[in-house]
Amino acid sequence: MTSTAAAGVSAEGATGALVASVQDLSIHFKTKAGMVHAVDGVSFDIRDGETLGLVGETGCGKSVTARSFMRLVASPPGVYAGGKIDFWSSEARAAGGGPVNLLTIADDEMLEIRGNRIAMIFQDPGKALNPALTIGNQLAEVFYQHRSDELLEPLGPNAPVIIRRAAKQESGKVERVLLKLPPLRSKAAKVREEVEDRVAAALAETQIPNPRKIMDRYPHELSGGMKQRVLIAQALACNPDLLIADEPTTALDVTIQAKILKLIGELQQRRRTSVLYISHDLSLVREISDRVAVMYAGRIAEIGRTDDVFREPLHPYTRSLMAAVPSSRNKRGELAAIEGNVPELIDPQPSCRFHTRCPFAAGVCGDVDPRFLRHDFEHGVACHIYDEPAAIGIRPDELPSFERRIR
Amino acid sequence: MTSVRAESLERERSVGDRPVMTLLDVEKHFPIKDGVLQKVVGHVKAVDGVSLEIRRGETLGLVGESGCGKTTLGRCISGITAPTGGGIYFRLSDVDRAALEDILEIPEKDRTTEQRRTLERIDSRHLITALTGDAWRAYRRNCQVVFQDAFSSLNPRQLVKDIVGRPLRIHKEASGAELTERVVSLLESVGMGRQHLFRYPHQFSGGQRQRISIARALALDPEFIVLDEPTSALDVSVQAQILNLLHELQRDRGLTYLFISHDLGVVRLMSDRIAVMYLGEVVEQGTATELFERPRHPYTEALLAANPDLDADVDKEIEGLEGTVPDPANPPEGCRFHTRCPVVTPICGWEVDDVVSWLSVETDLLESMTAVERRSNFDATLAFADDGSADDVAKAISNGSMPPAMSPALETVSVEGSKVLVRFRPVPPVELEEVEPGHVTSCVLHTSRQRELRRE
Repeated sequence: MTSTAAAGVSAEGATGALVASVQDLSIHFKTKAGMVHAVDGVSFDIRDGETLGLVGETGCGKSVTARSFMRLVASPPGVYAGGKIDFWSSEARAAGGGPVNLLTIADDEMLEIRGNRIAMIFQDPGKALNPALTIGNQLAEVFYQHRSDELLEPLGPNAPVIIRRAAKQESGKVERVLLKLPPLRSKAAKVREEVEDRVAAALAETQIPNPRKIMDRYPHELSGGMKQRVLIAQALACNPDLLIADEPTTALDVTIQAKILKLIGELQQRRRTSVLYISHDLSLVREISDRVAVMYAGRIAEIGRTDDVFREPLHPYTRSLMAAVPSSRNKRGELAAIEGNVPELIDPQPSCRFHTRCPFAAGVCGDVDPRFLRHDFEHGVACHIYDEPAAIGIRPDELPSFERRIR
Repeated sequence: MTSVRAESLERERSVGDRPVMTLLDVEKHFPIKDGVLQKVVGHVKAVDGVSLEIRRGETLGLVGESGCGKTTLGRCISGITAPTGGGIYFRLSDVDRAALEDILEIPEKDRTTEQRRTLERIDSRHLITALTGDAWRAYRRNCQVVFQDAFSSLNPRQLVKDIVGRPLRIHKEASGAELTERVVSLLESVGMGRQHLFRYPHQFSGGQRQRISIARALALDPEFIVLDEPTSALDVSVQAQILNLLHELQRDRGLTYLFISHDLGVVRLMSDRIAVMYLGEVVEQGTATELFERPRHPYTEALLAANPDLDADVDKEIEGLEGTVPDPANPPEGCRFHTRCPVVTPICGWEVDDVVSWLSVETDLLESMTAVERRSNFDATLAFADDGSADDVAKAISNGSMPPAMSPALETVSVEGSKVLVRFRPVPPVELEEVEPGHVTSCVLHTSRQRELRRE
């Protein structure tokens, strides 16, 4: 439905190479009540080096979209119902290769990409770290998994097979015993040292004081902000092309949040990593992203450059959402709430998903899927008002002027 | 509602600007137990000397980072936990308050019999930890709580009818068909209805669950409600609905709110006055506009600077705070915020712990430190493994690599072999002072201690 139009938006407005391109992605969940269309025809691009903010309320499908990049949606009950996610890794691009479809590549290829070319930071740093491992051991796994060749460099080209296997964490029980015996012990220690140096360097990059000391600590000994720094260090350890940040600061205090955002921004600039930043907080997304995609009930409602979207939101949902954020200009009790609730997404009929809560909804909104249209330069919207104003009875220029003007 | 009760409520509420809750120096210290015998080895000072007043019909906002004690204070006020020090008074008149404060200033053994009797009278009528029988029940029905997580605060095995009707049944207000009707009218007042009576909490969305919580809190027609982060688990669109509802209820029923939240935008919208808490203490308090337009404490300023605001200038960057919140079991001397304050001065309460943490963060000299012998928090001897590192530390202290505000506060630094003696000028704890009518702050930059600062 929306794929062609959305692809058109990005292709024409593109200013740089793409890192990822999501096209008509649909992810459904099988439940007893029916098929839940959690993500329903979502299309967007992520450009090289940019931060794309994905905003939406609980249950709109933003986390599922993000997780599908790394194929982390459990299936069953999840069903990858359609569409594709093209991903250009920096290596492939350097070699002049084309994109790979993350939804269809083999599992071992996915292992190579996951944590290496695409990394993720999760919302709750307390839950994302293994409580039984020290920080050092936890971060070491990334290097063992993806950088085992480099770990063997200090040993020269002729490292024994057992050490090679140890550097990939593939040793069996017997091998582990052998590694403790004299001929191999010193070599294994060298690999271990190399890993520790790299872990310390990764932690130091996130401005953690005394990284060597932190490496011996367990996650419960660290504060929330510190844990999130560890996770950022882990995610950026392999210099990924795409970093997916799924509400990384929601569990943190504002003062710590500001620090973490600054850190992500700095590291991103230094490494030219692209970031897909997922959040429910509009003001935060405005602060950090270059472009914004607004999701509602499994679909992209509006996408555009941050300035454009916040200065002139097109979709009635975006407008309502911005108006609902408390501001110093609101009078108490006169906050513009969006009445009603997010609709059930079980076997939905063609319709604009927002029509049940939209102040401008007309008959057509409940019967026809809105097309995704390019409104102006890089600014796209899926709303009937911009497609068939006659059927709605209101033209775009007749919409009440948007009050929350950004100073 | 019985007509007698309605009448008496009407009478009380027309009194107007009377205080509903008065907090005098409230403390809540949690013991830290250790060892086989579970000996008490220290106290986490979650709330450490808070004085507040909440007057009828107003909303007092309480903001601060997680761990600053705002929820603990809310729990103390609502009678869920008992404070370990100070007093929380319900409906304490201004006359009684003045009398009470006079008596409390006198040491216990010097009080006259008459003073003791007055104290006893006030306590038995107003001090919530001393209330018994009918007075306690009256307090419980007049003070209700709405918690943050509406899912865990509603019993998953009870129907909405039972959840909302429970307070009515406990206080023997209604039963049978009357109870159901009362519940329906309560549900209607929060925008729900009869069709929801026979459902379980899991059948509702987050916003609806919070509405049920609010309906339950309203069941006994209280005059005071503690709202502990009532919307932080909700989406903005639903948050707006709940905030509008809370305002409507306040206007129609003359409710008094204590609104606890970490979201500055929400607190600003909902509150008449705001108190900012840091590490168990109130550091600033004033009207909502005053506090946001002219903050007089660097911590408040830092909170505002870190808060992303949809209305702010696009180019305005959000600023974070260095460091982490100190251990509430061993709060810093002087101003508790001095360890992270961007505008810290020499008289803010520098102490030995600051030297130690500076050594550990900025240098690697801490590795060779073997012991800290403290005579007080301001005066200690740092023992090192060898004479060389002691010399290095003394050098590092004197060559100006210390935080610029810390070195002037140092009174003595001397090296004795492998030991370094460090002594700071002792600084008393900061106190709240009024800087403008109704606006108090504890920051030395704004209080009477700034004269001392100018002398420096």
